[in-house]
Amino acid sequence: MKQPPLTIPTTIDVPATAKRLCKNGTPIYIIDCPEYEVVRVSFVFHAGTITQKHPFTASATANMLAEGSKELTSQQIAEKLDYYGSYFDINIDRDYSYITFCSLAKFFPQTAEVIEQIILHPTFPESEVATYCNKRSQQLSIERRKVETRAREHFAKAIFGENHPYGISYPESEYANLTRNHLEEHYKERYTAQNCMVVCSGHIYPNILEEIVSITEQLPSTGLLYSQPIPPFESCHEKMIQHDGAVQSSIRMGRLLFSRTHEDFIPMQVLSTVLGGYFGSRLMQNLRERSGFTYGVFSAMVNFQHTGYLAIATQVGTEVTQEALNQIAHEIEILRNNPIPEDELNLVKNIMAGEMMRILDGPFGIADVTTENILCGFDNSHINDNLQRIRNTTSEELLALAQKYLCTDDMVTVVVGDFNA
Amino acid sequence: MITYKQTTLSNGLTIIANRDRASAMAAINLLYKVGARNEQPHRTGLAHLFEHLMFRGTHNVPVFDTPVQMACGENNAFTNNDYTDFYITLPTDNIETALWLESDRMTGLNLSHEACEIEKRVVIEEFRQRYLNQPYGDLNMLLRALVYKEHPYRWATIGLTPQHIEQATDEEIAEFYRRFYHPSNAILSVSADIEPERVFELGEKWFGHIKDSSHPIAPIPVEPEQTEARTQIVERDVPATTITIAFHMGNRLSEDFFLGDMTSDLLAGGDSARLYERLIKRKRLFASVNAYISGDVDCGMFVFTGQLLPTTTEEQALQAFQEEMEELRQGKISEYEIEKVKNKFEANTLFGELNVMNKAINLGYYSMIGDLGLINREVTIYRSLTAEQVAAFARRIFRNENLSTLIYRAKQ
Repeated sequence: MKQPPLTIPTTIDVPATAKRLCKNGTPIYIIDCPEYEVVRVSFVFHAGTITQKHPFTASATANMLAEGSKELTSQQIAEKLDYYGSYFDINIDRDYSYITFCSLAKFFPQTAEVIEQIILHPTFPESEVATYCNKRSQQLSIERRKVETRAREHFAKAIFGENHPYGISYPESEYANLTRNHLEEHYKERYTAQNCMVVCSGHIYPNILEEIVSITEQLPSTGLLYSQPIPPFESCHEKMIQHDGAVQSSIRMGRLLFSRTHEDFIPMQVLSTVLGGYFGSRLMQNLRERSGFTYGVFSAMVNFQHTGYLAIATQVGTEVTQEALNQIAHEIEILRNNPIPEDELNLVKNIMAGEMMRILDGPFGIADVTTENILCGFDNSHINDNLQRIRNTTSEELLALAQKYLCTDDMVTVVVGDFNA
Repeated sequence: MITYKQTTLSNGLTIIANRDRASAMAAINLLYKVGARNEQPHRTGLAHLFEHLMFRGTHNVPVFDTPVQMACGENNAFTNNDYTDFYITLPTDNIETALWLESDRMTGLNLSHEACEIEKRVVIEEFRQRYLNQPYGDLNMLLRALVYKEHPYRWATIGLTPQHIEQATDEEIAEFYRRFYHPSNAILSVSADIEPERVFELGEKWFGHIKDSSHPIAPIPVEPEQTEARTQIVERDVPATTITIAFHMGNRLSEDFFLGDMTSDLLAGGDSARLYERLIKRKRLFASVNAYISGDVDCGMFVFTGQLLPTTTEEQALQAFQEEMEELRQGKISEYEIEKVKNKFEANTLFGELNVMNKAINLGYYSMIGDLGLINREVTIYRSLTAEQVAAFARRIFRNENLSTLIYRAKQ
């Protein structure tokens, strides 16, 4: 039967975001979606790993927030949240920490009592810190037996510099030196009004908003704004890391570029999608579909507060490692020498539009996009601006960008595998 | 609560429609009632290989993904021991593109020698990446083989060995397609802002012409009752020893399923649950610990698993599991604990109904297990269970003759 006609969306409807400024200066962003009887609230702190003074402090502080407070033990916190079917989620990246709570709207008041304890009154009990350090150190040592993990860590070092705060990683033995004092100090400096913003979504009844305001307004205004200058980045060209017994090699290739606020970020996102950002991408066609070298290969633009990079990642059979590297280089050369055909570019544009619509389906996804926009200094009008920017990207522009940014001499390559096999 | 209507076309295709008035997206789910349990012991991994082949294109649509992506859509699939599931989400206006693609690949799949060979290589790489090149990657395979002796649950979806995939012939693959990929072995479920009657019309338009080829589906061997405890010890180059114990339990529609699910939640449903609180935090025996049910359609497994801290002996770890089971058998379960797991179940059900994709997938699943109405009854069923029923379940299931122990020992 014949293919049905298509409709391509040109704008995306996003519910309006309201903003409320608390007395202590912390902004709360509100996305009210009354058709869902759930609530999600995220506290975002400028407390990522670059702000830590001692290895593992930033992640340990975030992860230990719920492990004991002034009024509740870790057991009681977990118990109270579980009892109402509420949960929380802690995420941390190099720049920020994200503490997110979800509950049924009808149980939000009970959940808020626990949120208050977690965000405002954590005590980091000695014994809980010890348990955590043991557990994490063991998990990390397991993770580091995977070529994948090691490639990720070595790639960050290769892109930013061995000791750069965006690139550095630490031996798991450093967990032995971590104490509750490190966590407490980090918490006092970073988990404050100036370093925080709050984003909530779902059915935000007036009393729910008041609960959120009341917690947020208790954040102290005594903290330090993070003002350390970012040291210069020092990329190295290549790292080949031996991993005995690996049956696959993990490959990372890419280069340092810029953050989302840069005018070329969106077109570079289009370019990286063409290269390896979807199932039928050029790298997927080559390495998976035609060669059967790998289960998957991906490329993406990765955003940090102060910079960003392009990365290509894959795992391939040990015996085809060099050939896979050659094929990746070959695909990049094609992008530098030939304009992308119109059909292919249109396809990629539609994929990216669909991707945005999918993320924005449901109240929690809208909150995620809003958070990301605010952190980059945008508001949600940026969503439709982005969509326009993607639509307006041309093959000529992408050819020029590939020539400018994807020069072999600027690329960083990391391989972790068994080179003696 | 998910509202739905359902119908069956004359060729046997089941169609289920949910109207979601809030979403601009449509989710189209096509479930085929074939999984690893339908494979032959000498040719395992075929259901999963076939899931991959379904993306290899047809005569009309040489590259499956392209029209999906042109329609701003996304698609994916998964295979497990019981069924194979394909889903597409795209803007509602483009729903017919999804129906066109699914109807097209139900009949016209490209199963050329070349397509099969390339896909076999991809799946073998997946085997290596996820099961052989991964610490603990073969743990679940070993567990299945220990617990099941006859039932095809004894192998994982990826199969028993990469050789089975390597040696699959073109004819075996074509036969698999004929046997399992036809209307009466499939369920189409849709969640979107579209009237159910309109969804049925579209279903008839795109699938009504497809002829059913009713192949009888071979009965699945029944697992004989286990009569004595089994133990297997393996040594691997991993950083920490992991101990896993498993018991046989009832099937998806039996009361065992709900009681088992509830028991596993009491033990491991969140950080306040018993195992985390007692065995990790209080006794400091494990780095991580879990209890879960396999949740299969046929009789499944109840599993305890934990990764030992270096200071813990294997005997201590096993003893700790035994003590937890003993408490349950004796009925030491408070009303408060029971109420908590019920609240949690209700909340998770609601969180799972926030987008069209989850709803379409769930509708297909409940229809496949043979009780679509269960999708809205489960919260009530959980609400009705009592501590005494859980204790009786523990006494019936956690018996030594029903026990399999897998010690995955770290090499010194």
